[in-house]
Amino acid sequence: MLATEYQLSPMTASRPDNATEAQVAAALIRCASGDRAALRVIYDVEASRMVGVARRILRRQDLAEEAVQDTFMRVWRAAATFDREKGAARSWIYAILRNCALSILRDEGRFTSDEDAAEQAAPMTENALASLPEASALRRCLERLDPARRSVVVLSYVHGLSHGEMAGKLGVPLGTVKSWVRRSLTSLQECMG
Amino acid sequence: MTERDDKTLAGEYVLGLLEGSAKLEAERRLASDVAFAREVEGWRVRFAAFDDAAEPHAAGDELWRKIEAGMPAASARPKASPSAWTLFWNNLAALRATALGASLAALLLAVGLGFAIRAASQQPMMVAVLLDGNRAGAVVHAFADGRVVLVPIASINVPPGRALEVWTLPSRERGPVSVGLMNQARTLPLSLKDLPPPGPDQLFEITLEPATGSPTGRPTGPVLFKGNTALTL
Repeated sequence: MLATEYQLSPMTASRPDNATEAQVAAALIRCASGDRAALRVIYDVEASRMVGVARRILRRQDLAEEAVQDTFMRVWRAAATFDREKGAARSWIYAILRNCALSILRDEGRFTSDEDAAEQAAPMTENALASLPEASALRRCLERLDPARRSVVVLSYVHGLSHGEMAGKLGVPLGTVKSWVRRSLTSLQECMG
Repeated sequence: MTERDDKTLAGEYVLGLLEGSAKLEAERRLASDVAFAREVEGWRVRFAAFDDAAEPHAAGDELWRKIEAGMPAASARPKASPSAWTLFWNNLAALRATALGASLAALLLAVGLGFAIRAASQQPMMVAVLLDGNRAGAVVHAFADGRVVLVPIASINVPPGRALEVWTLPSRERGPVSVGLMNQARTLPLSLKDLPPPGPDQLFEITLEPATGSPTGRPTGPVLFKGNTALTL
């Protein structure tokens, strides 16, 4: 892959914080007035992490880069619609990224998920959980859930699996997966506030 | 619907688990229902730690070059808003040139609507005013996140046993594609998921068809309203 030859800058390798959010929000506002350099700022700060997020869903570097490319196009065109009152700049960008990645994933005939189907639910879940900081509320609250119920949250959010794909992987009926998702969401909401 | 149901629904939406009409409905509410939008943002924030923890994969200058190359009207895109007018008027000229009967009044309506919608909530990227001669019948809003919604702004008579079918023309090669069907004029999320996002100057139209939709997959009945998209300011 072409891109792996590049070195990570310290900025992209570190965990984002409030300063990252402020920087991205300011750049997004500049994008809205047509400032291309501001889009490049967002790219420098977020692109490598965005490729990482998309790769967990799409697995392939080329498809992940396509999702990130689509995302930047949409961010550029829609920057004026971003409303700081309604939510964070980074969560807005990552919501667009997840939409773009899931569209590519669900785009029939373009992508075979044999690899996905073969991989076991437990290690996929545990690896994603282990990547979270120990102090994170999300990790703490997920760890309080029964492992099967924890996995449906992780497999859908992190790996983009549908209800049906999770039912296949976990070997349980679709209705069971749906009810696990709902109960997990209720527990998480109570735990995280 | 109870508050708890809404929280769960918002969570399922953020997990990417809603499909088909449930997803469209959630997206419609995200744009119009402040309380629901707040629930969605709450889940995005709760799950953000997963995104922050993703292992970075270097994205090089190659990817940036592709992004730059694909930026629509990027080279002409102005730094300050005054020349955004230029962009708009360029589109306006193109739109008028299509000789689809888009009157200046309707275009001013589009601009007005653009402002009104921006003030109300989320601003669409594209607006198309669908006209019958000089009468505007409906507006199509295309939002940045891929949602496209038709909003009627005039009453439309639908005889019994008939339906209104919405079409778009993504390209001349592909021809008209059905994106929605309804038995009466109402706000309708359009289904463009198999199509590229609408571009400027893309045709939308409403035809009168049998109650179950056109039997041929192409418009068969009379065209009631039609219009082309324009970029909003």
